Amino acid sequence: MGKKRASTPMLPDTVHKLPREERFAYARLLAYMARIDNELTIDEMAMFEQRLGTALLSPNQRDMIRAALKNPPTLEECLEELSGEAGRLALRDAVMMAAADGTVDEDERDALEDISEHLGLSEDAVDRLLEWTVKGYRWMKEGYELLDSLGE
Amino acid sequence: MFPDGLVHRSAQELVRYAEALVYIAAADGELVRDEIAIIEAMMGRAMLHPESRVTVRAGFEQPIPLEQSLADLDQTMVRYILRDAALVAAVDGAYDTKEVRALKIIAKAGDVSTQQLSALLDWVAEGWQWFEQGTQHLEKSA
Repeated sequence: MGKKRASTPMLPDTVHKLPREERFAYARLLAYMARIDNELTIDEMAMFEQRLGTALLSPNQRDMIRAALKNPPTLEECLEELSGEAGRLALRDAVMMAAADGTVDEDERDALEDISEHLGLSEDAVDRLLEWTVKGYRWMKEGYELLDSLGE
Repeated sequence: MFPDGLVHRSAQELVRYAEALVYIAAADGELVRDEIAIIEAMMGRAMLHPESRVTVRAGFEQPIPLEQSLADLDQTMVRYILRDAALVAAVDGAYDTKEVRALKIIAKAGDVSTQQLSALLDWVAEGWQWFEQGTQHLEKSA
């Protein structure tokens, strides 16, 4: 069993490898995205907490990010601190968060396009990430179905 | 990942869940940063209380025995653990013999056959490939 899957790719997530300040800026942007429509569903909260966990922030930084959920920064403030890899990973995960409740509304879409533009990404970057996210959610759903089938 | 039935579980069950994941991650030796990151992500997704997370982190150096974490849990809960343990075990790129042994112990506790466990590991590999495609999209867009 283990031998067959020895070529399983290593987790390609690199958020936890970013410098501490960049991980904080990444998480701050996600806090902004979480509150963009003034609603925070359990799906969004779970996704936010998951990404916050991955970022391996210090307890003090976590407190600051949770405070940012209550009083979100502006998008401009978030973007000032973001560039390069941290920015791209933040956009990727912002797309996943925006889609976590099943729809991406206009405000979320505008913010995603603004982030992409700030990072100087190609015009179709958000569309491609949304397509990728849909595939990922399909994979997650298959995982739930697989889990259900284990009881049969 | 979307939340699932995990968020409706008791704080005590969620601590057991996280402790089992720590055991799996540590099965092949000392915990590395990649493994800690995925455990923290799983605890976040399950929305484990911050104080409970402190309890779980205390086991990073000396994990709680797997059998102790699994004791008296219902099969649905054990299967959640199995799914996420498979994700954690894959984080460093391969399933170590000790990780496979631990996954089999969890599968047995959850009444999951070897064939079903194999299907679960295939699902994990597909997910890793999907995630990697996200990184490739970002690189192409830059």
